[in-house]
This record gives sequence, structure tokens and C-alpha cells, in this order.
Amino acid sequence: MTCEEAKTRMTDYWSRTLGEAGETEFNAHLASCETCRSEVSRVGALWQGLDLLPLEEPSGKVRDRFYEMLGAYRQGLAAAEARPAKRWWTIPAWQMAAAAGLVAVGLGIGYGVRGNGPLFGGAPAEVSQLREEVANMRQLVALSLMQQQSASDRLRGVSWAYRAEPSDREVLGALVSAVNHDANVNVRLAAVDALRRFSASPETGRAALQSLSKQTTPIVQVALIDLLVDLKDPQAAPELRRLSGNETANEGVRQKAQWALERLQ
Amino acid sequence: MNRFLMGGMIVGMIAALGALPAPAQNPVQNPLQNPAENQNSAQITVAFSNPSQPRRLVVKTLMHKVTIKGYDGKDAIIESSAISERRRRERNIPPGMHPLNVGRGGIEVTEANNVVTVSAETPLGGGDIQIQVPVETSVTVNTINNGVSVENISGEIEVESVNGGVSVTNSSGSVVATSMNGKVTVVLDKVAPGKAMSFSSMNGTIDVTLPADIKANLKMKVDNGDVYTDFDVKVTNEAFDTTESKTGKGVRIRGNRTTYGTINGGGPEMQFTTFNGRILIHKK
Ligand SMILES: [Zn+2]
Repeated sequence: MTCEEAKTRMTDYWSRTLGEAGETEFNAHLASCETCRSEVSRVGALWQGLDLLPLEEPSGKVRDRFYEMLGAYRQGLAAAEARPAKRWWTIPAWQMAAAAGLVAVGLGIGYGVRGNGPLFGGAPAEVSQLREEVANMRQLVALSLMQQQSASDRLRGVSWAYRAEPSDREVLGALVSAVNHDANVNVRLAAVDALRRFSASPETGRAALQSLSKQTTPIVQVALIDLLVDLKDPQAAPELRRLSGNETANEGVRQKAQWALERLQ
Repeated sequence: MNRFLMGGMIVGMIAALGALPAPAQNPVQNPLQNPAENQNSAQITVAFSNPSQPRRLVVKTLMHKVTIKGYDGKDAIIESSAISERRRRERNIPPGMHPLNVGRGGIEVTEANNVVTVSAETPLGGGDIQIQVPVETSVTVNTINNGVSVENISGEIEVESVNGGVSVTNSSGSVVATSMNGKVTVVLDKVAPGKAMSFSSMNGTIDVTLPADIKANLKMKVDNGDVYTDFDVKVTNEAFDTTESKTGKGVRIRGNRTTYGTINGGGPEMQFTTFNGRILIHKK
């Protein structure tokens, strides 16, 4: 087996779909090749970092999920390139993230490889580099799915946002943008809930409050009020008071605003 | 077969005020019981430009009731009972005649890149729009003042109404549905693996029937209602009051905020949200 062949079989190896003979052959190559050995550990760590490798899960599924994710990523990238600047007010950052993500994807499927030391026993710098790659990839999956035409895919993107780092401003920005501009009510709803992941950021409360004054869909307004109560944001009180006294507002929203005011006091 | 296909341009107009006679050579006819109604209906057949690629139907309307049905064919057939008898009386239209000054209140039908778009966004008109598309078509519908019904569709289904009820039945794939004031009813025979779904209403009940073997992570949020299911839901939100009581055949999950749970070990996210209604999740 050549290194080239080994690289193309790496995901099969991790998903245990090589078969017994294939695995023996692959292991024989690993025993004699330092480069592939370290690459296998990198790919494995990447998978584990992405929560794609729960031990109890049957192997085929891991593979499916991995490719599904790659597919979603590529689809999202293609869509983002085809529709530039439509929803992205942070294009340069997005492109940077895309480049970083491509590296991560390249590693994941066994191309674009540079053999570093074995990861599990590797230097802390390498571990943190990997951690960064994983964070980038999660960010990429979340961001690219949130760009899809299908509301179901955008909902998946929003649930990926829960896996982003709580300090990830790109994902927070994408969620805020979804809350304010997504055409689908259910995606807006889910995005409001996902903002809880970023409750430590002062931007979150500000964005929720701003959005509340603009939203006209009652069920989304209710979700925003729940979020503001959970954030215990005292600055929300004036807007809630305005809303509860606004006779043109939805009756349920007014009740909810009144309820929230009592909770914030 | 008569097809109004002009390379992605506007392919047809069904006037709400004036009826276009359905082309006589069109083999796909929907015989109407009432001959008087027939005079007031218009039908248009639109081909998807690339039948081998995924199809999509987009419907946007302000006043119409929309019914979409999957059928064993390859075109989109759009039919509108453009003038109701009530409207006829209101406008004093002589029996057997139709107005010629078409335009306002019309239904516009376009096709581009395998997406058929039906829009009727003027406050005039009303009545029904019935659309037949191949079963495997993704469907996006937005209505304001009337309901939506989707039947026998397999694809990504997105439906939204403000004042009407929303119903998706006998379908498969994935559903994302909302109504502000109406009920949301969904019956899925099969779900597409890995797809996230969401159902919401401000004032209506969410009534969803899912295949018994579905794997899902549930998120159920109610303010003034309750959640009922006959699925064996493993409630995962520990902070929540999970007192269960048997009511009828279903197990009742009691609470006033958000409940998280899994069915059959968990899977893609399914979100259920209602403020004044209740949530019913049935096992098919
Ligand atoms: Zn090698």
C-alpha cells in the first residue's frame, strides 16, 4: 500500500469500514510509515473533537455523518460564494474562516496533509492548533448551514451554533442576523434560543433588545422576552413597559411583557 | 400538451377577475362538479425546466386558500376558482359572463431553474388556489389570510400562515411550519434522515404525528398549554417538573416552559412551540 492509497482509506479506517483484510493491510502500512501514522492520529483526533466519534455508535453512521457534514460545508461554501454580501456583513472574516475550514476539511479527508508529530502525545502547541481547527470547523458548519436555502438546513446550522465557542463572534453575528432577517419564523425562533450559548457576551442582550423593538412576529417576540428574562437584563425594562402598554401589539405579547417586567424587578 | 414556458420569464397569469379558459388540448383536466364554477376557474400547466433535477414550488399569497397535492405526473398544474359566488354577487357580475379588464388581483406563475413560483400578493381576489405537483417536490408556501393544505408531498416542506390553519398530511421528508392564529397539523409517513424540523403557533395547537421509529431530539415550549404524547419520550431536562399523569391513552408531560426529550435514543432536532395552544405529538 502506498501513502497515497493509505490517505484515501483513512476515513474508512476510522469508521471501521475497511473490512478485516483491509484493516490488516492498512495497519501494516502504518507500522512502517511514520507520516501516515501521525496523520491517522490527527484525523482521529479531529473526528473526536467534532463529536463525530462516539464510541458506542456503529461505524457506518460516523462515516455518514462525517460526509454529510462535509457535504453541508461544501454546499454552504458554494452558496456563500454564489450570493456574496447578501447576509454577510463580515465578508473578510468569513473568507478567512473559510480558508481555515478548508484546511480542517483537507485534514479530515486525508488530503493536503503535512505530517506533524503524533497528536495524542504531541506538544501542547499542536494540541491547541487542533483545537482551533476543530473550533473553526464547527464554526464553518454552523455558518455554512445557516446560509442554505432550505429552512431545515438553516435550523441544523442554528443547532450547530450550540457547539461553537461561547466567544465566537462570527457565529454570534450570524445568529443575530438570523434573528433579525431570516425569512422563516421557525429559524428566527431557533436562533433566539441559540443566543443563550452566548449569554456571557454583552452584545447578546443588546441584540435581543434591539431585535425585540423590530420583530413583528408574536411568537418570536415571546421567545425574545424569555431570553431577556433569562439574561436578567435590567435595561430591558423600558422596552418591555412600552410593549406591555402598546395597544396595537399582540395581546399575548403584551401579557408576556408584563410577566417579564415582574420577573425583572 | 400546452405549456406556457418562456425560458424563466413570466409563464402565465390567472386573472382573479377574468377567467382564462383552460386549453382544450390539455390532457390534465380536473373536472369540476359545478359547471358554473368551471366558468370561473382557470387552469395553467407549467413544466419544470429540468425534470431530472430537484423541483421546488414556491407560493406566496395574501388572500387565497392554498391546496397543494402531489400527483403522478411531471408538471405543475395550477388552478384557481378565481371568483367565488359571493364575490360575483358583490361585484354584480352577470351570470355566465366574466370581466375582461384583467390584471389586478391576478395570480402570477413563473418558472426558473426548476422553481415554479405562484404569487398572488394583491389584497384583491381571494378564493382557492389548487396546485398539483409531482410527489417529489419541495414546497414553500406563505399565506396571510387563509389556510394552507399540503398533501402527498415528499420533500422539504415549508409552510407559513398568519391567520389560517396549516396542514401537511400524508407526506414525507421534512416540515418546517408555522401559523400565528391557526392550528398546525402535520402527519408524516416517513421522515428524511438527519433533517431538522420545527412547528410553531402563537394561538393555535401544534398537532404532529410521526413515524413510530423516528429518532429525534425534542424541544417543546408552551406558555399556556400542555404537552401530550403517546411516544415513549425520555425527558432530559432535569430542571423541569416531569410529573407524569395518565390521561386517556397518552402520557402527559406537565409544565409551563421548555421541555427537552429524546425519542428512540435521539436524533435531529425537532422543535415545538406554542403560546396559547397545546402540543400533541402522536405516534403513527
Ligand atoms: Zn504512508
